Amino acid sequence: MNVRFSREGNSLVVMIEGEIDHHTASGMRERIDSKFLMEPVKNMILDLSRVTFMDSAGIGLILGRMNRVKLIGGRMVLRKPRPEIKRILRVSKIEELIELDA
Amino acid sequence: MQPINRMRTEFLSKSANESFARVVAASFAAQADPSIEVLADIRTAVSEAVTNAIIHGYGDEEGIVVLNCVLYPDLIEITVEDSGKGIEDVEQARAPLFTTCPDQERTGMGFTVMETFMDSLEVESKVGQGTRIRMTKQLKSR
Repeated sequence: MNVRFSREGNSLVVMIEGEIDHHTASGMRERIDSKFLMEPVKNMILDLSRVTFMDSAGIGLILGRMNRVKLIGGRMVLRKPRPEIKRILRVSKIEELIELDA
Repeated sequence: MQPINRMRTEFLSKSANESFARVVAASFAAQADPSIEVLADIRTAVSEAVTNAIIHGYGDEEGIVVLNCVLYPDLIEITVEDSGKGIEDVEQARAPLFTTCPDQERTGMGFTVMETFMDSLEVESKVGQGTRIRMTKQLKSR
């Protein structure tokens, strides 16, 4: 599990590498939340291009971060999910709630 | 229909074993040469079932989770069993978005994902005795 951060203007870019499941999600959650608090940003871009596996724990992780971003009036974007990740995003109907940057 | 192969593995209800279990199940299914999509579906469904056993079956206690796979010529049957708390109301647990732990960002989507990604899903549970999830998936050849 690896989470890396960068900035794009007013957005925190969160690059997640590897697998998101119940085991890895809690560590990712803590790292993302503390970084988002520290940085003077409003929006979050979750870069999923290097996520190789995700189950419903990943949906929980995304929705939880979306709620935090929305609390401060920001925007959340999911960037470049792989086809197998898109499938679970579709099943969860998360696509209707969050902007997708394919 | 006669099975052509079977395997059984058991492991402690530690969350680190979620990835172990889904990789084992998918590797076993791979010998039937299914598509990459079918293997991805199996990985995801097994991950959900094993996570349920660990979080809801055993919670803070430690127990054994059993993963059983039976391979038929064009189908795999996967069961995930725990001897934990059991589910009081299976119908409610299977309902989309129902969750007993929203504070941990559990979405209540586990059963929905299993139902969507597999071809059949049966849940047997007895309070105080445990839960058994049986799923099947058609393995179409490439």
